[in-house]
Amino acid sequence: MKAWAVVERSPSGIRRVSLEVAAKAKDLGEASVLEVTGLARPSALPAVAALAKRAAEAKPDLVLVGATAGGRDLAARLAARLGWAYASEATGIAIDGASATVTRTMYAGKVRVTVKAPLPAVVSVRPGAFTLPQGAGEPQVEGVAASAADEPLAFQRFEPSAAAGGKVPLAEARVVVSGGRGLKGPENWKMVEELAGVLGAALGASRAVTDAGWRPNEEQVGQTGRTVTPDLYIALGISGAIQHLAGMTSSKVIVAVNKDPDADIFKVADYGVVGDLFEFVPAFTDEVRKAKARG
Amino acid sequence: MKLLVCIKQTPDSTVRVKVGPGGRSIDESGVTWAIAPYDEYAVEMALERKDADAATTVAVVTVGPPRAKDALRQALAMGADEATLVTGAEAATLEGLGVARALAAVVAEAKPDLVLCGRQSSDDDQGFVGPALAEVLGWPHVAAVTNFTGADGAVDVWKEVEGGHEVWRASGPAVLTVQKSEKEPRYPSLPGIMKAKKKEIPEKDVAALGIEGGAPRLEIVKMEPPAARGGGKILKDGDTRQTAAELVRLLREEAKVL
Repeated sequence: MKAWAVVERSPSGIRRVSLEVAAKAKDLGEASVLEVTGLARPSALPAVAALAKRAAEAKPDLVLVGATAGGRDLAARLAARLGWAYASEATGIAIDGASATVTRTMYAGKVRVTVKAPLPAVVSVRPGAFTLPQGAGEPQVEGVAASAADEPLAFQRFEPSAAAGGKVPLAEARVVVSGGRGLKGPENWKMVEELAGVLGAALGASRAVTDAGWRPNEEQVGQTGRTVTPDLYIALGISGAIQHLAGMTSSKVIVAVNKDPDADIFKVADYGVVGDLFEFVPAFTDEVRKAKARG
Repeated sequence: MKLLVCIKQTPDSTVRVKVGPGGRSIDESGVTWAIAPYDEYAVEMALERKDADAATTVAVVTVGPPRAKDALRQALAMGADEATLVTGAEAATLEGLGVARALAAVVAEAKPDLVLCGRQSSDDDQGFVGPALAEVLGWPHVAAVTNFTGADGAVDVWKEVEGGHEVWRASGPAVLTVQKSEKEPRYPSLPGIMKAKKKEIPEKDVAALGIEGGAPRLEIVKMEPPAARGGGKILKDGDTRQTAAELVRLLREEAKVL
């Protein structure tokens, strides 16, 4: 069984989800770790052209890609180009003879499903679904040169989001601090950012908050937003609409802070704090800071 | 500009989805159906262009069972000009690539300048049909689109990426998979609903489109509800400082996530 891991790089090195995918490929069979090179800006079409060409020669049985924004895009188009089976956002993969057994979610995260995909197949992998083995170093990466001539679109410019903070990409974060309407206004996000800063967390938000324009859309967690599976998810002033729960219930540990003891978010929380978040969050931030300082 | 929006009818986002008795599909009894949320954004995005430019037309198409006509009717009521239902016995079993091929046949006939799809449906959650449709057509696609504008005979497309947006220019036809429209999807007006009721929705039979290779690839082995959660520890009525310290202790010593 030949398994490919297609990796992405950030300024600080190979992305965490890419390392997870590379380790998984190694688990499953004879692994190659590939990185598309030669593009000034990562883009699906030239990457697909280069990878499809390499796949025709090397004939992998399984291509794994981290389900980042770029990875999902590339994986879907690559599967279509090759005419292979495709499964997105896998949370589990096992090889079973001539097929891959993949666990994933459907119905916007409301149902868990096990599917069998005939090989060869392309599978995108949900960040955080596979734990990185202890001491897993950087894998040996093979470059696959893409050509700008395969780019039918013309890049114009990058427009950064106006929102400050949010330094950690949401989908890959091990800790997420999310705010909801209970924060009462965008001016109160300083408190959320401070807690996120102490925890090294990404910022998330409920749909009510992004719809109101308090926070950028890219921070929205839930249906029509991001699905996240961090080790720790902290929901501040979020009531827990079913659409929000769909995007975060697979988190390992959930903490909810809300003044309404009947809020639905408490039904999925491992630890719930019933109280005023404006009092609690600064105290909690302080205690986390003290605990971290103690080591 | 001629716009074609591909939509899918899925369980309404407020529906609590239950697994059916066989454990391989959902229990459809009592389910209310709606346009999938990202597809609804795609319809809204197309209608916003139409609002800004009277020469723009918006057509909608879906591949699905007869009940999917209600989703088309909803899009017409929102303001779309025309709708096509691709249906028939085979429509129910078509998978991503097959749906893409059926849609491509409709695109070939309608000849739109741009095709809009939601970024993913809210049933399969695959995010496959949009890129696959572009592949079948030999067109470029832009994913996670939040806006587009006409520019010098071309189209500038805003793509949501980590940390902001990339703007890409397409100088020919393209498929856009929509992340979110600028405004929330509009509610149909009463005259809109009346007009949509009277509109004829032509049907195409999948079998007549000559699609090959549309058979399902993914075999569903098992469906389950999400892992049960709850029974968590609730901290209340204490001194704020003590509660905060206690939560830190629990997260460190019990949950081991700090």
